[in-house]
Amino acid sequence: MIEGSPITVANETLAIIETRKLVYTYSGAKKAALKGVSVTIESGEIVILTGPSGCGKTTLCRCFNGLIPHFYGGKIEGEVVVAGHKVVDQTIYELARHVGLVFQNPENQLFALSVEKDVAFGLENLAVPRDEMIKRVDWALQMTGIEDLSERPPHELSGGQQQRVAIACVLAMQPDVMILDEPTSFLDPVGAQKIFEVINELNKELGITIILVEHRLDLASKYADHVVVMDEGKVVLDGEPRGVFNSEKARLIGVGVPKATRLYQILRENGTHLSGVPVTSEEASKLLLEVLKRD
Amino acid sequence: MSMFEGFRFRRVSSVVHLLDPRAKFFFVCVLFITAILNSKLPPLILLFFVPLPFVLMAGVQREWIRSMRGALFFAFIIFLFNFLFTYLYTEYPQVPSAPLLERSIAMTLRFLVLVESFSVFFLTTSPDHLGLALEQSHIPYEFCFAFTTAVRFVPVLAEEAQTIMDAQKARGLELERGNFLKRVRNYIPILIPLIVGAIRRSLELAEAMESRAWGASEKRTNLYVLKLKRNDYLLVLISVLMLILAVYVWLYIPIPSLTILLSF
Ligand SMILES: Nc1ncnc2c1ncn2[C@@H]1O[C@H](COP(=O)(O)OP(=O)(O)O)[C@@H](O)[C@H]1O
Ligand SMILES: [Mg+2]
Repeated sequence: MIEGSPITVANETLAIIETRKLVYTYSGAKKAALKGVSVTIESGEIVILTGPSGCGKTTLCRCFNGLIPHFYGGKIEGEVVVAGHKVVDQTIYELARHVGLVFQNPENQLFALSVEKDVAFGLENLAVPRDEMIKRVDWALQMTGIEDLSERPPHELSGGQQQRVAIACVLAMQPDVMILDEPTSFLDPVGAQKIFEVINELNKELGITIILVEHRLDLASKYADHVVVMDEGKVVLDGEPRGVFNSEKARLIGVGVPKATRLYQILRENGTHLSGVPVTSEEASKLLLEVLKRD
Repeated sequence: MSMFEGFRFRRVSSVVHLLDPRAKFFFVCVLFITAILNSKLPPLILLFFVPLPFVLMAGVQREWIRSMRGALFFAFIIFLFNFLFTYLYTEYPQVPSAPLLERSIAMTLRFLVLVESFSVFFLTTSPDHLGLALEQSHIPYEFCFAFTTAVRFVPVLAEEAQTIMDAQKARGLELERGNFLKRVRNYIPILIPLIVGAIRRSLELAEAMESRAWGASEKRTNLYVLKLKRNDYLLVLISVLMLILAVYVWLYIPIPSLTILLSF
């Protein structure tokens, strides 16, 4: 970490989202979808949330922005605190100032007839004055690299472009935290890569905390500061990426451990020890070269 | 898809497209009223030509001709009904008399003028603008939002319907088989997935809207604002003059029918 002013140091240890023993059951469901989740997300980090399908990742995201319990109802126990506010005591629109949620399917979260109008939607709801709104919309379009699409109808864009519009929509509201629920599952690898780069830039330049629900760990892990793995409604692994990916448990649950980390493990089983745990192929090749030169 | 082509507004900009939808709507209403006030053929012929310069200026001749062709069938029915009913229920002397024919043509033309003016309006007004105009006319925002969202999702649903239809046909569903009742029943395997899909879609939509602070404030602001410009005032002025003229003529000047004019 770069040495910063005391303020940034203080910020870095501040929890922006915290859940304590969170138990949630959807209305009408027999089984709880979340069974005692306690996680802490620190301000300014990029967190990858992963785990097998149906383990409760989306449900947890909905708890972070108040869709649970305010939109979905159901039974909630334990505590969720977001930017100092208890989620159960807030409305969804109050929370929207702090938390932005980007959904999996880009098509159904864009509903206006032009990109800029869609990006402005949240600001219109918050009654932001028009001059300010125009500035913020332009800024959000620029940050996501889609200025040239501003007048196009969103539904005629490619999936990758649509997902960037969806990010701009949330970004324009200047949230502290941006949650992206499997934003790349409808995209090709190139489109996915672009999304990750945009997300990373938002984090590095603006200090927005990112929570990324993702299966494509090969592409995404190099950006992560923190990885949380869930299984059957519980958090089973929580820590910095290398430790989590290298653990035996991650592999047993069926997390798509990055190939570079998997390579490290196989080499170790065969008696070759690299000097560190790689997460990306660049790191792996560097460590491999080290070993090859040593021999 | 062809059935829904008409819903897709093609983005073109011309003087007419740039006019304020409220001014255009006022103009269309005046045309409408003028057409209703007149039942004689000569003024209706004149009225038929009034929207034509707008069609040409907007460059939507092809679309306009297509929509008029669509109206032709109804026009024919209207003509037939007028002709038959006035013949049966009034005591005109000769059977297909000239006044009777003229009256039926006039009624048909009146219908065509109405269709014509509305089609010019819709062909040159983007749904975006229309929604905005509704909003600024103090119509509740929920309604305006529903309108623009419907415009946005109709082509999507149409596409989905086509996909489902193809999928079900590929599994051996035969749509054009059997009597009328059977045929209606054939559409059930298409309607159910379509409805289920639409409900899922609308839930996701609601979720996305909520997450973007829907309902946060009583008084929303708007990215776009409609402002009347010089051309709009001009159009409103023309419309008002036309309306005054139409009402004046209707009250004080009896217009002769074409048959009478020609018999001089
Ligand atoms: N709207 C809902 N109503 C009832 N149950 C739900 C709903 N959404 C998800 N679930 C259930 O909650 C559990 C967790 O689902 P989810 O959070 O979507 O998992 P993930 O996003 O990790 O795939 C699943 O068992 C799922 O069936
Ligand atoms: Mg999910």
